[in-house]
Amino acid sequence: MKARRVKGLEPSGSLVDNARRIVATRVDELYSFDPNGNPKELHDMRIAAKRLRYVLELTAPALGDAAAKGASEAKQIQTLLGELHDCDEMLALIAAHTERLRGADAEAALALAPRGATDLPASTARSLPNRLHYRGLESLSAYFRARRELLHRRFIRKWERLERAGFREGLLEVL
Amino acid sequence: MARARKIPGLDDSASFGQAAATAVQVRSEEVFWFADGVLDTSNPERVHDMRVATRRLRAALEIFADCFPKSEHRALLREVKLLADALGERRDPDVQIDALEKLREELGQGERTGVNGLVAEIRARQTDGNEHVQEALERITEARLEERLAALAEKAGAS
Repeated sequence: MKARRVKGLEPSGSLVDNARRIVATRVDELYSFDPNGNPKELHDMRIAAKRLRYVLELTAPALGDAAAKGASEAKQIQTLLGELHDCDEMLALIAAHTERLRGADAEAALALAPRGATDLPASTARSLPNRLHYRGLESLSAYFRARRELLHRRFIRKWERLERAGFREGLLEVL
Repeated sequence: MARARKIPGLDDSASFGQAAATAVQVRSEEVFWFADGVLDTSNPERVHDMRVATRRLRAALEIFADCFPKSEHRALLREVKLLADALGERRDPDVQIDALEKLREELGQGERTGVNGLVAEIRARQTDGNEHVQEALERITEARLEERLAALAEKAGAS
């Protein structure tokens, strides 16, 4: 995701003034995403949290305690969304791997069909080379699906807690 | 994971340009410090540390983008991004294998075959990832990335 352009930055100006502009843009960016959005939206939200975190971490010595506290919260959001993204990646890996095995098994089954066969004998199912793999992969898939759901619930609780605690307003106070 | 070095002089008296110079200089030194031993597959933390250092450098380059000459900045940011991508290709399989191996311990014998097959596939990517890191390290050495980043930082300080 491309970062929003920050307008009015001035290299000869003070770090504090420029940092405030960047923080304001990055806060708006973070809040432009739907915390209940699809995996792509949550991935972009994670990147927005990362950008906010890094600017706050770098400039906290100039902006003060509110920036340091904001950086710590942004890091927690980033970490939680990162773990959620890892689940999405793992689910995609498992699905792609399973699909490759299915394809290989189907080819193998076809090759086992007797010459001139008009249908595939049921006994072919016993000879599928990857037949013992699917059970474990299904378990993994169910595990990562459940873990993702749980992490998302945790993220929503965290996000709502931050809202109640005035996270956004606290950051704007830095400005 | 290694903690980020403190960047001196980033206080409320600093100009944006001075802060840019110091931040990019310090973050760049961190990246090249971690490059040593990064291909040692027995120590995956080294790759992780260099990747995190590369992310921090990239963040500094993006935050202070307006302080640098455009074309040089764009080229260097791209090179840092390519380095980060190569380190990610190596690091992501480490993390995935670790997670799957922990899960495998919890599963029954009948389920382990499937996990082993997936781990084997990810291991092949891990090997490719190490080759990509090696290529990336050769590329940044040839391209004198460290020197060029230092020169870029100086230009921001002079603004």
